Order: sequence, then C-alpha cells, then structure tokens
Amino acid sequence: MIAAILRAQFLSMRMTGRRGALFSFITGIVWYSIWTAVACAVWFALAGAEATTLGTWVPRGLLGICVYWQAMPILSASMGSSLDMRKLVVYPVPHGRLFLVEALLRFTTGLEMVMVVAGGALGVLSNRAIGGAAGPRTVAAAALFILFNVLLASGSRSLLLRLLSRRTVRELLVFFLLLLWMAPRFLFMTGNLRATANRLRGFDSAAHIAALPWTAAADIALGHTTLVALLSIGFWTLLAAWFGRAQFERGLRFDAVAAQATPLSTGLTRVQSLAETFYRFPGAILPDPLAAIVEKELRSLARTPRYRMIFVMGFSFGLMLWLPMVLRGPGSHGTLSHHFLTVICVYALTLLGQVSYWNCFGFDRSAVQIYFAAPARLNLTLAGKNLAALVFIYLEVGILVGITSALPVSFGYGQVVETLVVVGICSLYMMALGNICSVQYPRGLNPSQVAQGGASGRFQALVILLYPLSLIPIFLAYLARYAFNSEVVFSLVLAFAGVIGGVLYWIAMESAVETAIKRRERIIQDLSTGEGPVASE
Amino acid sequence: MAPAILVRELRKSYGSKAAVDGVDLEVPRGSFFGFLGPNGAGKSTTIRMLTGLIPADSGAIEILGFRMPEQELDIKQRIGLVPDESLLFDRLTGAEFLEFVGRMYGLRRPTARERARGLLDLFQLQADRKIIGEYSKGMRKRVAMAASLIHHPDLFLMDEPFEGVDAVGARLMKEILIDQVRHGATIFLTSHVLEVVERLCDRVAIINNGRIVTNGTLADLRSGGESLEDAFVRLVGAERQMERLDWL
Repeated sequence: MIAAILRAQFLSMRMTGRRGALFSFITGIVWYSIWTAVACAVWFALAGAEATTLGTWVPRGLLGICVYWQAMPILSASMGSSLDMRKLVVYPVPHGRLFLVEALLRFTTGLEMVMVVAGGALGVLSNRAIGGAAGPRTVAAAALFILFNVLLASGSRSLLLRLLSRRTVRELLVFFLLLLWMAPRFLFMTGNLRATANRLRGFDSAAHIAALPWTAAADIALGHTTLVALLSIGFWTLLAAWFGRAQFERGLRFDAVAAQATPLSTGLTRVQSLAETFYRFPGAILPDPLAAIVEKELRSLARTPRYRMIFVMGFSFGLMLWLPMVLRGPGSHGTLSHHFLTVICVYALTLLGQVSYWNCFGFDRSAVQIYFAAPARLNLTLAGKNLAALVFIYLEVGILVGITSALPVSFGYGQVVETLVVVGICSLYMMALGNICSVQYPRGLNPSQVAQGGASGRFQALVILLYPLSLIPIFLAYLARYAFNSEVVFSLVLAFAGVIGGVLYWIAMESAVETAIKRRERIIQDLSTGEGPVASE
Repeated sequence: MAPAILVRELRKSYGSKAAVDGVDLEVPRGSFFGFLGPNGAGKSTTIRMLTGLIPADSGAIEILGFRMPEQELDIKQRIGLVPDESLLFDRLTGAEFLEFVGRMYGLRRPTARERARGLLDLFQLQADRKIIGEYSKGMRKRVAMAASLIHHPDLFLMDEPFEGVDAVGARLMKEILIDQVRHGATIFLTSHVLEVVERLCDRVAIINNGRIVTNGTLADLRSGGESLEDAFVRLVGAERQMERLDWL
C-alpha cells in the first residue's frame, strides 16, 4: 500500500512542467549544497576537537538541531509535504501504515538536519579521542536521535495544523510561538552576558540530570553512561512515537473545513463594517476593473488563513530577529539601530512575498480563467494584484511603526518617510520579478490550508539569493549616503533607483503579460491541476 | 446578421493526439444549441477555444460577427461563460463575487451591486456572509451561472452547467435559460444528460474523436424514430455488447 501511494505520487509529479521541475531541481541543489557545506564544517570541527570540547558542544549542537527540526517548519510556515487525507482516508489502509508514510515525509522535511547529524557522527568517529571503535555506538545514537525527531515532528505537526485551522486561535498561536522563540534570544541579548551564560550552564547540568534526548544521544556517541543514556533515549523515542501516532489519529478525524466555517449571520458586526470600509476604499480612488480586482484581492487575502498567518509573522518575525541586537546597547549595532524601522519593514516585505507577489495567481487556482475570459486587459489584473499586495505591505509598515514607537528605539518622522520610500522602491523591483515568476511558475495554493502551499524552504533559499539582487539599488543609495555623507546625494540616488524600478516594472509587466497570453493554457492547467496523495510543500 | 458562432477548420492537438480535428460549426442566433460527445471527444477544448482560454492551432473562429483572436475583447464583452472547472473565488461571498464579475465586465458599481442582489434572489442563494468555499457543488454551479448572466450577454457558452445540481436547482436554471433564449440570446451548451438536451435544445451537434459527426436540428436527428440516446450511441460508434467479466 505504501508503494501504491508513493507510485501515485510519482505519477502525479510526472505531470509537472519541465520548467517547474528544473526550478525545483535548481533550488534543491542550492539548498542542499548549503547544508552539505554546514555538515562538512561540523564534521571537520568535531574531528579535530578535544574530548572536553566534544562533551560540552555535542549535546548543545544536538539541542540546536532538535530546535531547528521542530521549530523551523513552524517559523517558516512551510511544514513540508504531507499525506492528503481527504484522498486517502476512503481506502482500507491501516492507519499505522499511513503514519509510516507521514513519518517518512517528516524525514524528508528535516533532511538538512539529517545531513548535519551525519556530519557530526562522522566528525565524532574521525576524532582520535573517541576512536573508530565507537562506530556502532555513534551510528545508533545518531539513528535514535533522528527517529526521535521524526516522530516528534510528526506529532507536533498534526497538533499545530489542527490548532492553526481554528479561526480565532491561529494568529494568537503564531504570535505566542514567536514570542516563545524570541524569549531566550531576547534575554541573552539584553541581559547580563555572564549571568545568562551561568544560567545556561545551570540548564546544561539540569539537562544531564534529566537525561534529555540530545544529552542522551551525545552520551551514547561519546561513550559516557551508555546504558542510562540508551534507556533515556529509548524512553523519549517511545514517548515521541506515542505522541506522533496519537496526534496523527486525531488529525485523521479532524474536519478543518468545519473549524474554519463562517458563522451564519446576515448583518455586519462593527469589525466587519470597518473591514468593509477598508475593502471598498480602492473603489473610491481607482476606476474599474482595476478597483474591482484590488477589492477582490483585499477581501480574498484577508480571509485566507495562510495569508493571515504570514501577515502576523511579517511584523513579528522581523522584530524577533532584529530587536534584540538593537536593544543590546548603544554602539554595538549603531547602524542597525539607526535603520531599525527600515530593516524590519523591508524584512516584512520579503516575508509577504511568498503569498503575495512571487506566485500571485496561486490562491485563485482554476478561477484564474476569469482573468482570461473577462474583457479586461491582463496588465490591469497584475497591477491590481500588486496594488493589493502593496496595501498589505504598507499596513505591515504602519503596524511596525506603531510597535516601534512604543519600544525604546529612537526614530523620527524622517525615518518613517525614508522607510515608506525605501519599501515602495523595493516593492517595485520585487513585484517586477514576482510578476514574471507568477506567469512562468504558477502553482495552485489551497487557501484553506494554513501550512501547505507557500514557498518551500528550498524556494525560500533561492529567494534569499535573489533578494540581494533586487535590493542592490537601495544598497547603492545607502552606500552613497555613507560615502558622501549627504542626504541630498542619498535622495538623488534613491529617486534614480525609483525611476529605474519604475521602468523595470513596466518592462517586466509587458513581458509578463506577453508570457501569460502565450502560456495561458499552461497557466490554467498548472493552477487547476490537483496534486497526488502527497500534498507537497 | 452574422451567426452567433461560426467555426471553420478548427484544430487543436496535444502532442500527437488531435483533440479537435477540423471542426466546422455554425450556430444561428437565438438558438438553444446542444454540443454533445462522449468523454474526451473535444467538447471542452472547443469551448475553451471559443472563449479564448486556449489558442487554436489553426482554423477560424467568429463569434457574434467578431473574429477571434483579433477582436477578443469585443467577444468577451458579449459572452457569458460557465466553464467545466469552477471559476469561482473561494474566499468571496456569493454577493461579492457577482459584484466583482459585473465590474470586470464594465458595469457601474451600483448596477453591479443591484444585479448581484437580484441574481442571488433569483438563484435562491442565501445573501449571508458565507464564503463560496463553503458552498455545496450545486450552489457553486448556481452562482457560476448567475455570474454568467450579470452582464446580460448575447451568447452563453456552458460546459456541463447542470452537473451536480439538484432537481430544484436544475429546473430553475433551465427556466432562466429558456427565458434568455426567448429574449434573443443564444445558448451553446455541452451536457452528458441527453434528456436535458432533448427537452431544451432545438439544434444539436455531436463531436467524436475531435470531429463533428452530425450537425442539425433535433427533429432531423430523430427523424428515423430513434431517441436521442440511440442516435448518439449509433453516431459515436459505441454500439457493442457489454463484455462480461468472469469475476464480476
């Protein structure tokens, strides 16, 4: 049965266009090359380390791997491929076997961490202090640690998907998870370094006593208290297996559509009235059909669970990353502190990209036909979608300005204006590229799915490589300001970047429209085609 | 007056397979035209070429006197489309979607809003805050048909419009379509439900393996006393005895 599912998935993937396959292949190569380099670095670092260093850093490293494996899919809102239960639950397949496939998918989602663990295991085996005789022990420790993480990831994924499907819980939960992720970093960066280090040492000791999985795996690999450690990691793995299986079973019986259902009401609440005013606003300043498209996008995106989640992440994730550095104290990150608002706003712009402008027809799916069937020019459709994205981007900026003004970070009106201009110019470049990507690599996204359907980790890796390209003009403006120490030069270069961005956007739009007309059949097909039994990232 | 649809030597291939292979078709204005064929015969591909959703490999298409693709926007302005795949935006309510479609077809906003409300009433769709993603299949078809009416088109192109619709909904939709024809509109529909075609259509064409095998009035097709189903089965060459499987 597992073979049948995998074959069905393979046959489904076979229908993907060559461009899409090539694109996936290139992003895969880039992503896994980075992690191969990390794994090799870990290998060489551990091979040459002293025994005491290994004792200190191997458990910590494994803890880091565990945190990444469990938290990264949540933070990147890309929880990896998963079984599409709507298609499989009708067949008489034992749930245990489905769980096995699900666990295998969790293995593929955390493949980069498997590579790092493998690199670490090779490093330990190459270390003279440990010796090659520790081979079976080290391999067993690595295998058990990977198994523990796979099972735990499976359970936490099922649990989170159910929680994130609930209308009122979703955004709060994302925010809570981000705060949880941010707290240790925040304490570390703002508090006394030595005190924090002491507290961490205390945590290390506690970890040893409690024989947590990463400590147990490290102990087995390094040959310390092997029996206790084996019992410990065995216990944790069994616990993770129970958790994963139990959550998987609950997920099978969960009705996501019912959880997201709109409450029946004919009248508008006060919040809905405000939202209605917000949606109707483009109509007051733009002509139809452009206004109709912007309004439709605003309504649709605001009601799309995945978009709402990424929107919350847009303003919280940037704060989480950059705020601790700024609060560390004056002088340590002076430049960053000065440009804090701009940095977090541009960061929010990049995060929104995966659900806004990189694949702007994604949520429309087969309904994309209407843009080709209606008597409206396609450049208006793309412009409307870009304008709607811009509305949300500036909403993010507004929220970030509000939050930042409540924080002990000094900034003036000048910086707010600078941020608004910089974000606008960056948007021009990114949307120019995004419009081309949207018609070259369209991909249907399920708006009801919270975690599936955005950019995968690998795509994000490629985007991380592409973003610097689109940010070059802005970078040059800041470089000019630094070199000439002149606001006038900065403004001139910024204005020039804006003009070039406008020209680029116009050329890209022409190109995207031409491509869309030529490829309309393929675009409709790509966006309408359902996936196989495995819903991919 | 030019016919509603005039197609000459229309061709479309996918790899080595000809989905539409030299189709000639003329649909007079004001007719209720049934376009029939077995699964995979080329019906949907033909409709998609007529609406400009996919380009033809060769051949000429003229809709309401306008040439495709040269006068594509003029054509789109005058046709109402109910495609096989849903063209609905799941995260909009029925009212919001209908208003959006009206505005895409150039209606003024108050007009679009008013017509949307009227159509929701006509198609017995609840005017609540429920989004289309939560609609049943029949409701989705109804809202799709309502959307095809909002700009009061001259020609309707409908791919399986009654699929998944209950008896009450189907009856309502049929009455609305008959009323449209009575007021001068042309309807071109595909359907696998031959009883529906028999009751509604005055002209029929049957396509098989990408080629038109018959085209004429329903009365001509049934002149030998055959039912439409018998004629259809005979014309598409599907008259064979069902083979029995030992294990079944």
